[in-house]
Amino acid sequence: MSVQPGPRVRLAGGLLLWYGVLGGAVAWAVHVLAAWSLDELACAAGSDHVSGIPLWQALGVAVLVPALAALGSLLVAALVWQRTARARSAGTDNPALGRSRMLAVVGIWANLLFLAIIVLGGVAVLVFPPCQR
Amino acid sequence: MSTTTSTAGGIDRDDLARLAEHWDEPRSLRAWFTTVDHKKIGRRYLVTAGFFFALAGLSALVMRTQLARPEAGVLSPDEYNQLFTMHGTAMIFLFATPMLFGFGNFLVPLMIGSRDMAFPRLNAFGYWVFLFAGLFMWASLPFGAAPNNGWFAYAPLNQEQHNPGLHMDVYALGLLFLGISTTSGAINFIVTALKLRAPGMSLNRVPLFVWAIVATAFMVVFALPALNADNAMLFLDRRFGTHFFDPGGGGNVLLWQHLFWIFGHPDVYIIVMPGLGIVSAVLPAFTRRGVVGYPLIVLAIVAISIVSFGVWVHHMFATGLPQLSYSFFSAASTIITIPSGIQIFAWLATMLLGRLVLRTPLLFVIGFIVTFVLGGFTGAMFALTPFDQQVTDSYFVVAHFHYVLLGGALFPILAGIYYWLPKITGRMYHEGLARWAFWLFFIGMHVTFFPMHLIGLFGMPRRVYTYRGGLGWDVGNLISTIGAYLLAVSLLLTLIGVVHAVRRGRPAPADPWEGDTLEWSAASPPEPYNFPVIPRVHSLHPTWDERTAESTTTGATEDRILSEGRRTLFTSELDARSERAAEMPEPSFKPLVLAGALLVFFISMLLAWYPIAIAAVVTVAATLAAWLWPVRRPDEELGVAS
Repeated sequence: MSVQPGPRVRLAGGLLLWYGVLGGAVAWAVHVLAAWSLDELACAAGSDHVSGIPLWQALGVAVLVPALAALGSLLVAALVWQRTARARSAGTDNPALGRSRMLAVVGIWANLLFLAIIVLGGVAVLVFPPCQR
Repeated sequence: MSTTTSTAGGIDRDDLARLAEHWDEPRSLRAWFTTVDHKKIGRRYLVTAGFFFALAGLSALVMRTQLARPEAGVLSPDEYNQLFTMHGTAMIFLFATPMLFGFGNFLVPLMIGSRDMAFPRLNAFGYWVFLFAGLFMWASLPFGAAPNNGWFAYAPLNQEQHNPGLHMDVYALGLLFLGISTTSGAINFIVTALKLRAPGMSLNRVPLFVWAIVATAFMVVFALPALNADNAMLFLDRRFGTHFFDPGGGGNVLLWQHLFWIFGHPDVYIIVMPGLGIVSAVLPAFTRRGVVGYPLIVLAIVAISIVSFGVWVHHMFATGLPQLSYSFFSAASTIITIPSGIQIFAWLATMLLGRLVLRTPLLFVIGFIVTFVLGGFTGAMFALTPFDQQVTDSYFVVAHFHYVLLGGALFPILAGIYYWLPKITGRMYHEGLARWAFWLFFIGMHVTFFPMHLIGLFGMPRRVYTYRGGLGWDVGNLISTIGAYLLAVSLLLTLIGVVHAVRRGRPAPADPWEGDTLEWSAASPPEPYNFPVIPRVHSLHPTWDERTAESTTTGATEDRILSEGRRTLFTSELDARSERAAEMPEPSFKPLVLAGALLVFFISMLLAWYPIAIAAVVTVAATLAAWLWPVRRPDEELGVAS
């Protein structure tokens, strides 16, 4: 007999699942908005520093932090996929299982895509001087 | 609750009579103006969008006639400016999106096993606003006051001092007006798909067309506010002397471009995405198998919808922003080709592994793949900043986006017309005529637009009303014009085919193609209530699935018949578990009155009749109040029934 999880556990599980599905997308959105606006506004103001920090370092943070968040999201999606695979092989008959498994597959591939975009942005930070036009 | 014996399984005649009584609308002028039936509204969207398409297409033919030879005098520069602007604006805003919303309106409730959209009156309101906004914009053309600044209407040329007259006021107000329709339609699709799916249709069983429509709706909701803000500021600049886009007054010219393309690039996918959904819907019927890689296609739909919001600056690679800024958008523009590619390979694999039935809808799908891939190829070239800067504002760009938009939207739309014509009209089309239409369309498309790549690379700029001879552009332009006439003939054949089907086509069975989605289990054309019994879905291909079919016959239960009242079933968002039956609204004049009052408001603002505009606002507020006035709901629906 399986024990039904309590409401808090279910809420946490649901939130974790959605982090696994959409975490990479949100991380990329933060990356592109932060990196682009830092570069654009600092350069338009004629400065290569943001609050005393060199612009390239600030841009590095706008790449690294979202990249780590996307990586975490990828790991969560992979974990969900692995658990649903295990539950399926154990013969669990739960209609939500197929749905969770599909969302996990979508999450894995989506996070890989968003991580790739963030990494490419990071390469550009290493290659280009921030204000070169 | 039903008083019949249907609980024991099956539906009886009493139930059917009650369903007809609650859902049928009489054939009268009043019913025509008050209908809230999603199928009628969907058909109206299709016909009205088709009408605006004809106007925009005729504009293109006149322009191509002007460009057929150097220094022709068919059009003056001013007329040409208005025609190319109305052509682009109408094709994007008044044809592509509303046409695909028309398919969505007709099909989404049928595909998910519902009896209507979530907000039927909002649906009717959206249609009337679309119709009025389209007429508002096209009516300016005979007065010589049509928009004349290109469909993306760049600042500072859109400002009053550079572009006097009503032209750009019509553009700003027309698109603001239309935006009300598009936004309300999008919200309706999202709620419908989340709350009205048949029980058992969990997220992993949702048809790909519905995924595509919902993704499109989300894109609309997030993208359109940027365009609305842009147009509101443009109107304020022009009419009331603000300086949002005037550097002399502290404004910024590039603000227009940023806001426009924050909307504009997702809009490319807003146009193409439902088309891709149509392809995924058509393929199973003509390959006799499900689309390969369902989760990956869902991934592609979701990923494209999100990444499309991070590529807008590739339209601005020639504006002098820092190279590093470009790189962030260049990266997204490059990666977005991966999910698009996933879909293409999934469709190719489906055709490879399936048993092909070469009917006209499949021909258009194959034509789509060829054309869209070519358009996507030149699109990937634009992701590279140095190449983009070389061809910006040349005919190469015109060739590219016509390959993408005709390939990604018009081929699927035509596939969809032929595929769902039996369901929409209850009549079969003439296959021979349809094949002629396909081949002429395919050849006409490539003859028209392929030479534009070359004349663009030879240096011909876009949006010129004429050109001098001997620059190497003459032959290419002439070939393009011949192709345009071929395209016109093919589309005329399509129209003849549709009219022929409606008047003389043989009656269509419920499922002429052996399709896999739920609309094929409804009658052709569907009953006003769509399904006598709301099905219980057991697989991704419910029409091919015996258990789902059984749920509407011997397995029918009272909670899915719902014949006492005009009702449909609400289910949970993720797993479509039954929640409760909901009463759906009756036909009403309010949507039409509200849309009419808004039309008066926008015309008054255009012509600076401000007292009338204030009266229109009061009418809008009063109609909204009457619309939203709480009505007495049954206790059962309020959740207080014992």
